[in-house]
Amino acid sequence: MADDQEQQVPVQNVEEPLDLIRLSLDERIYVKMRNERELRGRLNAYDQHLNMILGDVEETVTTVEIDEETFEEIYKTTKRNIPMLFVRGDGVILVSPPMRTGT
Amino acid sequence: IQPAMSRKQTPSEFLKQIIGRPVVVKLNSGVDYRGVLACLDGYMNIALEQTEEYVNGQLKNKYGDAFIRGNNVLYISTQKRRA
Repeated sequence: MADDQEQQVPVQNVEEPLDLIRLSLDERIYVKMRNERELRGRLNAYDQHLNMILGDVEETVTTVEIDEETFEEIYKTTKRNIPMLFVRGDGVILVSPPMRTGT
Repeated sequence: IQPAMSRKQTPSEFLKQIIGRPVVVKLNSGVDYRGVLACLDGYMNIALEQTEEYVNGQLKNKYGDAFIRGNNVLYISTQKRRA
């Protein structure tokens, strides 16, 4: 069946990744960011840049110290709570529903 | 399952073909994500299911669903299934 015309079937039934984020609106999410930062909060708004408004947020910053004598890696985390936060999208790496802690 | 690269095609055709397959997504930072490709877009934003995160070859985390921002993506590759 050789059709000379190109078939242009608009593929709108496949959702885009951003549509799947829309399903998480008003839900708690986990965000992995650059500079070893993680956020857990409620997604109030987002846009195509992944700019986000998060409510009731806990930020975790992870640092590694190297002991000069033993050369062991010491991982430290610093947490803080922020009631309402604007996140600039270019720092976002990954967005996911929150993990059940205890992995 | 026919390999996606059996003939010449544009990258966007490749991207349509690999939806639903298990893939490896490598980020610029070197972190690896393995999971089933749910969908992606022209910016290489990616939605994965059953995702595992590998750092330095070690499994670090598991995510049920994961959205990855496209600017971080170095490549997307299919995984060959071993029998």
